[in-house]
Amino acid sequence: MSRTLEVNVPRVKPQRRRGVVRWYRSGGLTAVLFAIPVVLIFLYFSWGPVVRGVLMSVEKTNLVGPALWVGLNNFSYVLSDPGLPQAALNTAYYALLGLVFGFPVPILIAVFVNELRRYGWMYNLLAYLPAVVPPVAGILLWKFFYDPSSDGIFNSILGWFGLGPYPWLNSEAMAMPSLVLYTTWAGAGATAIIYLAAIGGISPELYEAAEIDGAGIWSRLWHVTIPQLRNVIFIMMLLQLIGTFQLFTEPFLFTGGGPNNATQTIMLKIYNYAFVSGDYGAATALSVLLALFLCVLSVAYHFVTKRWSPS
Amino acid sequence: MKKRAVKVAVLIASVSTVAALTGCTGAGAGGSADQGKADPKAKVTITVGDEPTADKKADRATFLQHVQDFEKLYPNITVKPSTEYWQAQTFQAKLAGGTLPDTMNVSLTYSKQLIDNGQLPNMTPYLKQIGLLDDLNPLALKNVQDSKGDVYTVPYGLFSVGIAYNRKIFQEAGLDPNKPPTTWKEVQQDAKIIHDKVPGVAGYAQLTTNNTGGWMLTTMTYSLGGTVTDKSGKKSDMGAPTREALQTLHDMRWVDDSMGSQFLYNQDDIRKAFSAGKIGMVLQAPDIYDQAVHLYGMNPADFGEGALPQGNGTNGTLTGGTIAMFNAKATPNQLLAAAKWVKYMNFEQYFDKDLAVQNAKSSAASNSAVGTPGLPPVKDSIYQRYLGWIKNEINVPLDQFKGYTASTLPLIPEPADAQNTYATLDPVVQKVLTDQNADIKQLVTSAGQTIDRNLAQQR
Repeated sequence: MSRTLEVNVPRVKPQRRRGVVRWYRSGGLTAVLFAIPVVLIFLYFSWGPVVRGVLMSVEKTNLVGPALWVGLNNFSYVLSDPGLPQAALNTAYYALLGLVFGFPVPILIAVFVNELRRYGWMYNLLAYLPAVVPPVAGILLWKFFYDPSSDGIFNSILGWFGLGPYPWLNSEAMAMPSLVLYTTWAGAGATAIIYLAAIGGISPELYEAAEIDGAGIWSRLWHVTIPQLRNVIFIMMLLQLIGTFQLFTEPFLFTGGGPNNATQTIMLKIYNYAFVSGDYGAATALSVLLALFLCVLSVAYHFVTKRWSPS
Repeated sequence: MKKRAVKVAVLIASVSTVAALTGCTGAGAGGSADQGKADPKAKVTITVGDEPTADKKADRATFLQHVQDFEKLYPNITVKPSTEYWQAQTFQAKLAGGTLPDTMNVSLTYSKQLIDNGQLPNMTPYLKQIGLLDDLNPLALKNVQDSKGDVYTVPYGLFSVGIAYNRKIFQEAGLDPNKPPTTWKEVQQDAKIIHDKVPGVAGYAQLTTNNTGGWMLTTMTYSLGGTVTDKSGKKSDMGAPTREALQTLHDMRWVDDSMGSQFLYNQDDIRKAFSAGKIGMVLQAPDIYDQAVHLYGMNPADFGEGALPQGNGTNGTLTGGTIAMFNAKATPNQLLAAAKWVKYMNFEQYFDKDLAVQNAKSSAASNSAVGTPGLPPVKDSIYQRYLGWIKNEINVPLDQFKGYTASTLPLIPEPADAQNTYATLDPVVQKVLTDQNADIKQLVTSAGQTIDRNLAQQR
């Protein structure tokens, strides 16, 4: 036994030393040194704000004077905000409307464009065009469309059919659907492009087989396209859900959260805490809560959709 | 050799990145103002905001000339101008990030909030040191002091809220354009007449979004003899006057239908609509004139400004306008130099005739309004003398502001935690204008509770 040990110990040491030397000679150190700046920059700029945000959520700070540790005070403050339930409900309502009405539109556009034998590029272009318009410009344009007077653009068009005038953004009931209409217009094109690319990847033989079996366009859509797109649809749905819970630009520019808080969203509340009240503690506390909620939502979504995905 | 060189370069890059990142972390900890220890002769460099952008050639040339003259006057001070100017959307972020100049102009509405938040340096010793404190208008000073009487910013471009009206629309409706309404009853009557006789025009319109709804509800409350927060600034104090203001708006909207169809107005949108002749009357300070005429092309002859309509008697009006603020992270020497700059830029013209005329001429040349009535930043006697010097350059039709300038309404400072308080009141105004069955009493009570809660968080 003791002999074996004597033999083994001197063998291991040179191997390790040789390993380190080989690692060094083969450029291991250079690789680490190359990686350090990238990792540090990533940590500082990507994770730095996240960590700083979490820290700020337990502080009272105006970022000018010294910060004061307040524990969970900011969390209890934002959770007891009488406006929070409505903002949360509004955000959920927007997400629901977006899912029910906005989500199928790009799929339908993609299928429609894909079915066209000629001028497909032109419809592609037309569908994608709204995505090119900067959101601020688009929203200013749509503010004209939503003009509540009878000579507003939408009201004039509806007037030809004897409808309206509607108050659009000026009505608590219509404000949020109006925002969904705009975001669907603005976002459908870009999403449709992704679906189109995914549809391009579906084996044509499946369609041919379906056609031979006498499947029409709706049958092909239901039995071939959608099942084949399932994974993309699940991913896009998750991205849309996360996006809708972070709704900010549209209510900020269209309505400022009004009328009577009907379009007040969680993100708008965060913005107001930080940049109207200068209460960065409350803003980051609500941000942390939203991030946690989205994490939980993503995990739950993953497990739910896993059961439906082809393994 | 080559390999080693690469390794050395990578090592240097890594070390410098770490150093830079450490440097980043340390930034922002800068020295706070150690008050009263400023040396007026120390060499100092200050950054100043509001340099006119290149498209305003005459203004920019004048500004840069001022910088040169100032540096000649104070050889120890170097001025670095910046085109940074106050924008509501980015102001708080830049203030927090410490990227604002040592001094720049800011909307008055932030004054109390910034003082309460401890985001401003105490300027009293520096203003005393340069002898500016005694020349300032005591009425204006109220807005920039804390409870101890210390001064934190310099108010200079101040206005009180009045009622802007379209004289042409008044004529078309058969109303006398020289007689703007002076009570809320008259506003309601005139608005109804305009609605009945001039199609497509809102008789009266109200600001409602981005905190302007609360801002104007506060103004109306003041005009009806009420307050929004109590004197200690720790509790809301709204009562019958606020409810009366909301009831007036409710009646104009739902009984008379004289407020048009747009009820989500922010400041820019309402000014555009007013300038385009879509609104008969709107609560605005006289500074709307410059924007309406020079930016949105309103005919100067159509513009009129009256004093803020009152409930009964002369209850008062809210002040608004511009203050020069200072950076809390600046050193005492920089704060002293910045105070000298503010005095030189904004107050020298009240004491130097040539400068007054030169400034007025360059403003007129760049198509800006000269002589817009407002709350003088200096004592009245000094201001009247100044107006005499520039009377040939005045391009504002002062006759059309008579209703405003002739009034002697008491000036009431903004409520505590102004922006937050206004934000809480926005939806109240919106509710009344978009829901015929809004319960005004309940709305005011619940807004009061929210304001109390916000004020408690501020403490």
